Amino acid sequence: MIPYSRDPQQVIPANSVKIIGLGGAGANMLERIALDGMEGAELLALNTDVRTLGTCLAKEKIQLGVNLTKGLGAGGDPELGHQAVLEAEDAIRASMKGRRIVFLCTGLGGGTGSGAAPIVTRIAREEGAFVVVFATMPFAFEGKRRRDQAETSLNELAVLSNALVTFDNNRMGELVLAKQGIHEAFVAADHMISESIKAVIRLVVRPGLINVGLDDLMSALRTNRSRCLFGSGIADGKDRAVKALRNALASPLLDQGSLLKDAQTVLVHLCGGEDLTLFEIELLMQRLQKFVPEHAHVLFGAAVDPAMGEALSLTLISALPEDSLAMAPRESLTRSSNDSPLLDPSQGFTPPPSKPAAAPAPVPEPPPIQETVSPRQDPLPAPAAAVEDLALEVAPAPAKPDPAPVSRLRRAAAAVIPSLFDDDRPFAEPEIPAKPSPKPESQPEPEPVSQAEIPSAAQAEPEPAPEPEPQPEPVVSKAVLPQVEDSSDEDEILDIEETVVTVAEFVSKAQDEEEAPQAAADPYGAHEDDPTPIEDEDYEIPDLESSGFTPIPRKRPPGVAPWTASKGPKALSIGVSASSTPATPPVDPVKEEAAAAPSAPEPEVPKLKLGIKSAASSASELGLDSAPRGRFEGENPNVVDGEDLDLPPFLRKKK
Amino acid sequence: MARRTKIHVGLEIGTSKTCLVVGEVKADSAVKILGIGETKSAGVRKGEIFDYSQTRACLKDALAKAEDASDVEIGSVFLSVTGSHITGVNNRGTFRLPDGDPVVAPEHVEEARTIARDVHIPQDHVYLHPIIRNYWLDGLEHSTSPVGLFGKTVEADFHIVHGIGNRIQNSIKLVREMPLEVDDIVFAPIATAQMALDREQRERGALVIDIGGGTTDYALYLGGVITASGCIPVGGDHVTNDIHLVTGLPFSKAERLKITEGDASADPVRSVGSARLNDDRGFAEVEVSRSVLNEVIRQRLEETLRLVQQRLPQGSVEAIGAGIYLTGGTSLMRGFSELAFDVFGRDIYRPELPEISGIQASFKDPRYATAIGLIRYAQILETERAAPPGVIGKIGRLFWPFGR
Repeated sequence: MIPYSRDPQQVIPANSVKIIGLGGAGANMLERIALDGMEGAELLALNTDVRTLGTCLAKEKIQLGVNLTKGLGAGGDPELGHQAVLEAEDAIRASMKGRRIVFLCTGLGGGTGSGAAPIVTRIAREEGAFVVVFATMPFAFEGKRRRDQAETSLNELAVLSNALVTFDNNRMGELVLAKQGIHEAFVAADHMISESIKAVIRLVVRPGLINVGLDDLMSALRTNRSRCLFGSGIADGKDRAVKALRNALASPLLDQGSLLKDAQTVLVHLCGGEDLTLFEIELLMQRLQKFVPEHAHVLFGAAVDPAMGEALSLTLISALPEDSLAMAPRESLTRSSNDSPLLDPSQGFTPPPSKPAAAPAPVPEPPPIQETVSPRQDPLPAPAAAVEDLALEVAPAPAKPDPAPVSRLRRAAAAVIPSLFDDDRPFAEPEIPAKPSPKPESQPEPEPVSQAEIPSAAQAEPEPAPEPEPQPEPVVSKAVLPQVEDSSDEDEILDIEETVVTVAEFVSKAQDEEEAPQAAADPYGAHEDDPTPIEDEDYEIPDLESSGFTPIPRKRPPGVAPWTASKGPKALSIGVSASSTPATPPVDPVKEEAAAAPSAPEPEVPKLKLGIKSAASSASELGLDSAPRGRFEGENPNVVDGEDLDLPPFLRKKK
Repeated sequence: MARRTKIHVGLEIGTSKTCLVVGEVKADSAVKILGIGETKSAGVRKGEIFDYSQTRACLKDALAKAEDASDVEIGSVFLSVTGSHITGVNNRGTFRLPDGDPVVAPEHVEEARTIARDVHIPQDHVYLHPIIRNYWLDGLEHSTSPVGLFGKTVEADFHIVHGIGNRIQNSIKLVREMPLEVDDIVFAPIATAQMALDREQRERGALVIDIGGGTTDYALYLGGVITASGCIPVGGDHVTNDIHLVTGLPFSKAERLKITEGDASADPVRSVGSARLNDDRGFAEVEVSRSVLNEVIRQRLEETLRLVQQRLPQGSVEAIGAGIYLTGGTSLMRGFSELAFDVFGRDIYRPELPEISGIQASFKDPRYATAIGLIRYAQILETERAAPPGVIGKIGRLFWPFGR
């Protein structure tokens, strides 16, 4: 084998990784990371509160605001946190020197976390590190004020960091059972973050067989106004590929994989021990295909790490455009008091041409999103676009209620952008040059307008709740349509059925308003909502038909997925067996018969049992059903517990 | 005791093959396999003869081969029988000693045994084996006859194997037409267990599952004695038949596909892609999705094992200490051990053959387990018969606690 050295930009030595815990929540996460064992990485704790800092497990600790807060916390005031971190800037800068990748863990909403995180991120960026921020968003019950603080900070972080992964505390409940203790809930949340960090480290530190590096990570996360989807699963033992996938999809950030449906780029990284087999990978990717749209760009990486032993770890990273996120069912459900109209500083990226029409609609939707759908990943502004960005930051300012964060944001952004210019790392790729041009036009206009219009529109509307839902749909239905096509090609029954049935319903009968909330409660509510505009907006209909929609309803009766069992119980057994049995064409009739037959004799089972003693009667019973019995044709039935053992269980159990 | 070398022949008329094993039991009770005669069976289905003349032809052929291979003129055989009509039941006979008779006398024990053997069986059934499991004296277990001990109540615990007389008679008639003498008739799983299990394994509790072409025979030993035995009329033929019915392939190809590609482990990694069979020129003539093929196989075998599990007495699977021993041709199926583990949750073994010399290749093969087990059975029976009654008989009974 010819030895060659890998691109040094892709392989990062483990010791140039730094994990920073900022604030109280960050310290907790750091503790979990330390307990879980993170080999090689340095841990740094930053806090204003000297008490929590003292008990922290991190090797390196820096107290923020020695003179300002005098060892006390920031008291929930981001401004204080902001000032405090500036005091310790030199120490932080020194500690981050030469680090290639920095993970910043923090809990937003409080003083230290919200106030200091953007500055720490900026410092890290200036020191030339790739910064991944893991931030938790406050609980809904912590109130609007904290949520606002968190949102403000998050928006800044979205600009400053290379990658932003947020975890909403409101979703913590999904990690643990309801009856489990609160400490377990927090441990689970911290554990998830620590697993994620480990997975990212594995991703970028270990040179893989099929390598993925920071560049792939960046392209997976590059969508304007996006939310980071992150799932990491680890499993071992038999069936580990499937288990790992299941664990990864169980991540609350992925919503059981349903959010992946709209992803454009998905980074999949597999890391296994030396017994990682190609079959496993194939199997896993096959399963994953069900969740990822076919047209999505799948960046696949695999690595063999002997340290993994028997285990197999799977990391899924993707980004979801915010507008499609608006349709995510949970978001609409968990709408709460917060409707801070804070807008992402990166907004104004080329809106889709059809958007002006729909523009007023999606805007009312974002507020609910913003409290749950905090993660908003922003692509690194390209050097070319960066200057304009800078200028544009001024424009959204009036839209924000709180001018202070904006000014801070500008400060921070201004500081970081020069460093981007001389940034020669691969991930700082130039953006598409077309983007800057529409920006100046669209930027100032839609925002204030929408801001102004929403309340009036909402008031004028007799039914404010259902209204926002149908309107943004054109956007989403477009995103969904290709999927339907894909899945129909792939014969993925379940997926087809969801869409097919819903579409069939919607096309055949007019949807009444009360179905909307139900649909929203459904995990697939996003798709159920989609077809509504078919009636509303004419131009969508040809689109549907051209994308192969019409033939599908015809396919529906033969193949009815299990979940529609209540709707078509009769078709069920035949449909399933016919569609899942293998496809040697001459065989099919036999299979069909065989599949159909066991369902026929079923009600006669008791008779068979009774008639078994007298051969004549049992023979006549059997004569009724024509199930082929192969080489046992014409024999007395081999009945045990009411089942004829001579028939294949494969066909018998299908029912 | 000076005993001369004795030659025993085990005959198994199975669903897939008829096989005679000629074994030599030396004076030091070592067993040597002299030769094996095997023919593919015809006219046997689910362990029972349905085409008499065809089976006779097969047996003749196997007999000629066995005589040829072993250079022995075969005069008598031990015949193993199986079939779903054969079942094993446990029964206990209680005899209360007459007043003023505090010591158990031999006739008291005999009386208890007679009562125990008097199981109600269907009219057309006959006893195959009345096997004494153990004795109880006033509720206390005794593994040997409690003659001479003080007590009030003698109980004898029997495992009785019985089956339809005419069917067994027909098997015997077939053998006699060869002409061969039938030394004894043995229920197949009991013969297999002789080969598969040693004394210690029986003590700790073991289950032997002999899953052959047409039947699945099982014998459960707990605490050193047989606890359950029986036969389920499902075997490898059913797997082939299932593949045939589901995929529509002809039997020969289904059989080949089963042997070369099938897997019962339910490991999804082994169900990726499709299985092909190449014809003589190397072209793929048959292609079946592995997931379907393996699922068909697994469901059949899993169901079979579950049937075995259901037939075992309550809680007995948990009492199995040594493990489950799989023999028979179908046990060669890939992933069968994993499947068996999934079903029973006990250690799964392939039996090791103890102290047998001869053609190694033949008795390593689980397909010959029953026929070789017959030789062991014969050897033990021989020991018991030849031994003068008394001390040695009791010792012999320790190793072979079957009443005779």
